[in-house]
Amino acid sequence: MRRLLSLLAVGCLGLLVGAPAAFAQGATTPPPVQGLTLFTRFPSEEVALGDAISFPLVLRADSAQIAQLSLRDLPKGWTATLRGNGKIIQSAYVNPGEDASVDLRLDPPKDVASGTFKMSVVASGASEVALPLSVMIEQKLPPSLEFSADLPTIRNAPGSTFTFNTTLKNAGDTDLTVNLVAQAPNGFDVKFSTAGQDVTSLPITANSSKNITVAVSTPSDAQAGSVPIQVKAEGGDISADIALTAEVVGTSKVNLTTPDGRLSGDAYIGASTPFTLEVRNTGSAPAKGITVSASPPAGWKVDFSPAQIDSIPPGDQVEVTASVHPADQAVAGDYVIGFSARPAEGSTSSADFRVTVLTSTLWGIVGIGLIAVAVAVVGLAVMRFGRR
Amino acid sequence: MLAQPSKSAAATVEAPATAREGSPWTGLWAVVAKEMADYLTSTRMFILELITVLTAAGTVYSAAQQLRTTVGQDQFLFLRLFTTAQDPLPAFVGFLVFLVPIIAIALAFDAVNSEFSQRTMSRLLAQPIYRDALLFGKFLGGLFTLSLVLSTIWLLITGLGLLRLGVPPGGEEAARILWFLLLTIAYGGVWLALALLCSIVFRQPATAAMTALAGWLFFTIFWDILAKMLAQLISPVRIGTASELIAQAQTQMALTRISPNTLYGEAAVGLLNPAVRSLGLVLPSQMDQAVPGAPLPLGQSLLVVWPQLTGLAAITILLFALGYVLFQRQEIRA
Repeated sequence: MRRLLSLLAVGCLGLLVGAPAAFAQGATTPPPVQGLTLFTRFPSEEVALGDAISFPLVLRADSAQIAQLSLRDLPKGWTATLRGNGKIIQSAYVNPGEDASVDLRLDPPKDVASGTFKMSVVASGASEVALPLSVMIEQKLPPSLEFSADLPTIRNAPGSTFTFNTTLKNAGDTDLTVNLVAQAPNGFDVKFSTAGQDVTSLPITANSSKNITVAVSTPSDAQAGSVPIQVKAEGGDISADIALTAEVVGTSKVNLTTPDGRLSGDAYIGASTPFTLEVRNTGSAPAKGITVSASPPAGWKVDFSPAQIDSIPPGDQVEVTASVHPADQAVAGDYVIGFSARPAEGSTSSADFRVTVLTSTLWGIVGIGLIAVAVAVVGLAVMRFGRR
Repeated sequence: MLAQPSKSAAATVEAPATAREGSPWTGLWAVVAKEMADYLTSTRMFILELITVLTAAGTVYSAAQQLRTTVGQDQFLFLRLFTTAQDPLPAFVGFLVFLVPIIAIALAFDAVNSEFSQRTMSRLLAQPIYRDALLFGKFLGGLFTLSLVLSTIWLLITGLGLLRLGVPPGGEEAARILWFLLLTIAYGGVWLALALLCSIVFRQPATAAMTALAGWLFFTIFWDILAKMLAQLISPVRIGTASELIAQAQTQMALTRISPNTLYGEAAVGLLNPAVRSLGLVLPSQMDQAVPGAPLPLGQSLLVVWPQLTGLAAITILLFALGYVLFQRQEIRA
């Protein structure tokens, strides 16, 4: 840098003293050569199969001349193209003190085998020079996909989403666009995502891998058991499979309601009124050992038949009759009774039942009877004391 | 001036059934019509009606005024017209408790004794009318007049409510209002029968009026105090246990229910407030898990107030029976 600066300073000084002389001296940057020279910086290349091969060639000469360019010992089936300024050329004009650049492009045949190929570029002008080149072609790896999962089997409850973390590796030397296909039973929805985005196809560059999340949402009424899920990654002619297993854990879910869904009713004081309840298993496994109980107001009696249910298969229901006997001291109007069904395992289901207590009309009849007695008294008085 | 005084005097006690000829109700409706005509044209009635109508209009107007501003959503808006009080006016029900007895007493305190003092009784019974029919007619005439006045007031209130609130009463409300009218007539009947009894017992109308009013005053003011003192005597609280306190409260409640005013007040609350579930003493254990404020159906409300309603009707009939017996045994040749 400093040299360049000092050179520039010298040049400026020279410009002041004798401009033509200084100018002539500054243009002759390339060192003087003897005759014609042909070179390239990296004459030996190693390329992969199918890759383009090109060499940037440089021509240099001490006198102006036209250099004819040709190739010698070109392997069979190869084609060579020389380009200058983007055009196909056969010769180049070389000015002294000025480099001429030529690009050599080599196209091996399609069925080329791996190995080292040697050839020379010959430039013949005033003199003839040869530049030996060597190309080493390496055999490419065949394209292949590897699909793997950290945890290929997951246990979860029905209705939840099973999330598998998988890795898809492109082990070949070719970039691939991979389509993802899943085979799952009806009702199971499979979604693929990578880096937080839902995808169905994705590019994978050669020799790299991508993490793919396979999310399987299960229906809430899925039966307990192992559900096989086949995931296939297809890219071009090749594909990779992975077998994932969603182990649906059966749960029982007990739901207490009434056959018509109505949670209210009337009950008379001093009498037992039957109410029909329904214990429904909305889960995916049989509910076992269900106890039906009530939290009635003080003094009330509630009996169940049956009070204990051994087992309810999934999706089935059992009717329970609750006979409610309001307390004798209960006042007319609405009361709340809490009914609950408690399975041996799992959560309790409860329902608040609104009971409208009705007083019997017996006392009303008694009142009418009292009035009748009073009227009878009047009637008796009329008969006894009636007079002219 | 009776047609056959000797025969009737002899046959009264021995064989009353054989002494009677024809129905005792002959001429009943003639007496009722005459009595009603007398009542409705009298100045006394006009003044009483004026007071009642003014009271009704005033209380209901102010109640509607308050309902319009305060009550947004109420299932039983019309019933509130009767029970909403706004300072300084009490609720319409509160007025009825002491207005109805006064009207009833004013109607009947001179029903029988004025016939004696005007010397028209003998002349009246010279007609082919039994004493039974005369007394029944006088009572029914008073009761019908009272019913007429009360029905008019009820219609007035409903009309005012429609105008001021802008909503018609629902079927349940209308039924409750009608039952309340019936209850009020039964309450008026008690005082009517009492005043009739007084007019039979006392020859002076002033004495009869004073006695009936004394009875009204007694039940309105003193009976509650007396009932409390009597309850403390009958069921004293010695240690202060809950059962002793409950027993005393129940005794006191039973004693106050002798008063027709209490019966009427309780029944009115039960009919006009559907949320009332019991009129007696309610223990907390009885209201365990009860839904507060849930309205009772009309049938259940009626069952709640049925003892009060039938009680009032029974008191009326018994008082009338007593008056009837006394009247039948009275010497009317004066």
